[in-house]
Amino acid sequence: MTQKELNDQRLLREAQDAVRHMHTRRHFLRESAMGLGALAIGSLLGGCGRRQENVMSSIAFDPAHPLLPKSPPFAGKARSVIYLHMAGAPSQLEMFDYKPELMKMDGQDCPGSLLEGKQFAFIRGVPKMLGPQAKFAQYGESRAWVSEHLPHFSTVVDEVSFLKAVTTDQFNHAPAQLLLHTGSARLGRPSMGSWVTYGLGTENQNLPGFVVLTSGGSFPDAGKSVWGSGFLPSVYQGVQCRSEGDPVLFIGDPKGMNRDIRKASIEAINKANQQEYEEYNDPEILSRISQYEMAYRMQIAAPEVMNINDEPAYIHEMYGTRPGKSCFANNILLARKLVEKGVRYVQLFDWGWDAHGDGPYNALNVGMINKYRSIDKAITALLLDLKQRGLLEETLVVWGGEFGRTPMMENRNGQQNPYKGRDHHTAAFTLWMAGGGIRRGFTYGETDEIGYYPVSGKVEAFDMQATILNQLGFDHEQFTYPFQGRPFRLTDVSGKVIHDIIA
Amino acid sequence: MLLLSITDLIARFHPVLVHLPIGILLLACLFQWLTIKNRYLFLQPVIPAILFWGMIGAVASCISGYLLSQSGEYDAQLVTRHQWLGILVAAFSFILYVLYKLSLNESWARWLSVILVILVTVTGHLGGTLTHGEGYLTSVLNRDEKKQTAFKPIPDIEEAAVYADIVQPVLEAKCYSCHSAVKQKGKLRLDSPESMMKGGESGKVLIPGKADESELVKRIFLPLGDEDHMPPKAKPQLTENEVLLLHWWVSTGAGFDKKVKELTRTEKIKPVLLSLQSGEGSEKAATDVPGTPVDEGDLTVINKLRQAGVMIIPVAQNSHYLSANFVTAGSVSDSVLQWLVSLKKQLIWLKLDNTSLSDSSMNYVAACMALTRLQLSHTPITDKGLVKLQSLMQLRSLNVVGTKVTIKGILALQKLAGLKSLYVYQTGVNSSDWDELRRALPAAQIDTGKYTVPALPTDTAVIRF
Repeated sequence: MTQKELNDQRLLREAQDAVRHMHTRRHFLRESAMGLGALAIGSLLGGCGRRQENVMSSIAFDPAHPLLPKSPPFAGKARSVIYLHMAGAPSQLEMFDYKPELMKMDGQDCPGSLLEGKQFAFIRGVPKMLGPQAKFAQYGESRAWVSEHLPHFSTVVDEVSFLKAVTTDQFNHAPAQLLLHTGSARLGRPSMGSWVTYGLGTENQNLPGFVVLTSGGSFPDAGKSVWGSGFLPSVYQGVQCRSEGDPVLFIGDPKGMNRDIRKASIEAINKANQQEYEEYNDPEILSRISQYEMAYRMQIAAPEVMNINDEPAYIHEMYGTRPGKSCFANNILLARKLVEKGVRYVQLFDWGWDAHGDGPYNALNVGMINKYRSIDKAITALLLDLKQRGLLEETLVVWGGEFGRTPMMENRNGQQNPYKGRDHHTAAFTLWMAGGGIRRGFTYGETDEIGYYPVSGKVEAFDMQATILNQLGFDHEQFTYPFQGRPFRLTDVSGKVIHDIIA
Repeated sequence: MLLLSITDLIARFHPVLVHLPIGILLLACLFQWLTIKNRYLFLQPVIPAILFWGMIGAVASCISGYLLSQSGEYDAQLVTRHQWLGILVAAFSFILYVLYKLSLNESWARWLSVILVILVTVTGHLGGTLTHGEGYLTSVLNRDEKKQTAFKPIPDIEEAAVYADIVQPVLEAKCYSCHSAVKQKGKLRLDSPESMMKGGESGKVLIPGKADESELVKRIFLPLGDEDHMPPKAKPQLTENEVLLLHWWVSTGAGFDKKVKELTRTEKIKPVLLSLQSGEGSEKAATDVPGTPVDEGDLTVINKLRQAGVMIIPVAQNSHYLSANFVTAGSVSDSVLQWLVSLKKQLIWLKLDNTSLSDSSMNYVAACMALTRLQLSHTPITDKGLVKLQSLMQLRSLNVVGTKVTIKGILALQKLAGLKSLYVYQTGVNSSDWDELRRALPAAQIDTGKYTVPALPTDTAVIRF
């Protein structure tokens, strides 16, 4: 008897035992009692959610092939998304939102009018104002303001559309990150990447459709929920890949197991699952079968695409990668490779942008300078590399944090912080988008003289989400999923496509 | 004044009242036919009573209907027909009632009731047409066909008449169903210059030169949920380009006999106008999807391609245009590629990057005449294969990054006037070829790549603390 036959038989025997169990008297009596109860409840709550099935938008969910590509409602300009999230919230006032007036107020007490009725994460009492901790200049044909901290990025400003007046209503990291990526500050909603892979599938069936890469030494504060699938089928959650060691944990076959045995065991498992499916007709089983098959193919495809070492030296120089280490630049290069291979949504998180100034590591003039340097070259290289490969026209790149930073210097618990830092600021911050049909070299929205409140072009997270979905070919108001008796959508009940930044 | 508003109120009850005679009279006719059977004979005595109340209902509907027709919001011709048929129904039910009272021949009465049923049906249908618009009933049969503006192909946009060629087709597709001869919601007609200038119930809708004060434009910009938003939420909305065109026309004076070249054009409107020239005005200009619909591609071929690992799907739901991606197809054999040819009308986006595509196989690619986007990066093709693409007149974007093609092959593509972007990074195209390239393809964005991000000392410097 070969190994394969042995495997087959063992699993099948277990499956058969399970079936036999279904025929026992004890099982029958218990299930009938419970079943009747459930039936009664079902009819008591009758109709809950039943009607939604007809409305379940036009997206057909095929449980046997959950990730096959699907057509969007209208032809979108973007095929994939790379979202670069600076977890901790970088300071717009040191990067893009130039406020010379704020310089004049540097060191003065904050006017009471800015503090009235306001609640901050750490600022207490009356803080001092803090001028921009950088020199600014205008670049490109679009004359966009960029600080001296981003010498490389300033050369590509004509590729991007800045959103200068983004607002949020969450002043803590985790809820603000959730709001940005799932449309709700509370846990439980699917993330944007899950929505997108649910709606569009993915073009490469050997790789996950939604990949998450993290750097900066820590996870985003919102944890894995920020790439979770919420109430969408679980195949749509983000797959976190690592940029050093195995890209996905346990992707290699263990010692003593060769590819043939792996294949035989997966076939055996799928056979048992197939039997199970024929018995119960539960579509989740079909998803499970297809996931096993994908995992098997991924064992070959993922290490190949996740290996940046086979990229030529000049590409490594361009991105400023550090092969063998785990860093943002490596992840950026990976993002390009993944998008090139047809991955739908690549989500990057870079931790460590929380510039409070309570220590040197998060001071605007010490630790943050290292952070700017760690992303500047890589992001610039990403935009240029996508562009020269003809991928920028079909790849939407988004950059930003979960909120902004105050024009005031942080005084934690009323005490001046030892280093220069700013507190969390919800009313106005900067995001930018590029590629995927977004207007080139444009700035939308404006803040007041000190960057405190939006003056024009105010947008919310929902508007950004609506715009991303629009570029992919969805009307965010029609893109729904039935759950708990009502259709849910990413943008909940808000969101307006920002037409001004669409080319 | 009070009297007037009371008549208005009665008029508005017409759509409710009409259902009474319809139901009651049909019931009377039904009973009449049922009495053929002996066991239903007991119904006989109630028929006159039912007829009587049906007649009362018909008369009440006539009165309220007459009052409603005075509002003048409806197509006069249709209203007249509906009105006289309604009166006929009332009269007929009266005659039938009287005949019954005189207990005339039963079979006679039965045949008269058939006529009454027909009369009620036709009148009711006309009434429905008045409220819901022409073709409401049949529209469910071809619901999928989105109402699209049919711009006539405009050969020379400079000479095009702004109103007749551009504005009117938009109004016709999106506004006429409620604001023209058939119906005049809000007493507004938009189907002639005079009536447009006249406006409707709430005054003028068009203030030449002031788009932001003209109701015609203002209401389009209201949020979709707003009660005053036009067209109403359930109706086909104007596309982005159509909104821009209307706005531009009104803000440049809303002239009815101007040509495009006589009006000032903003930066925003220029590309929209240009897109009209090729006859795809109501489509979004940059999506690379043709505006004209196409028949469905051969499903057996599509399925064969899918089996071969090719990701081939429609570019959008409700579109038959196809997008194909060979990212996981492995090697491409001629037997697979030749299937594409039978989808040549539908296939508009084709991605063959990193495949083993050879020059000889390019014949199959070149046969896909509808292609607008073609990606051939990192394939073994050379100039020999590239020149075959001369036939792809619809091509807007071509990617030959990482191939052996040279300036010679690219120059063969000069004829492709629609080519908007060309990616030639890592090819045999040299920087010395640049001027020649520019001359050959003046309209295209050509990207030769080789971008560098110079190393700065600060890139790797780390501040220690």
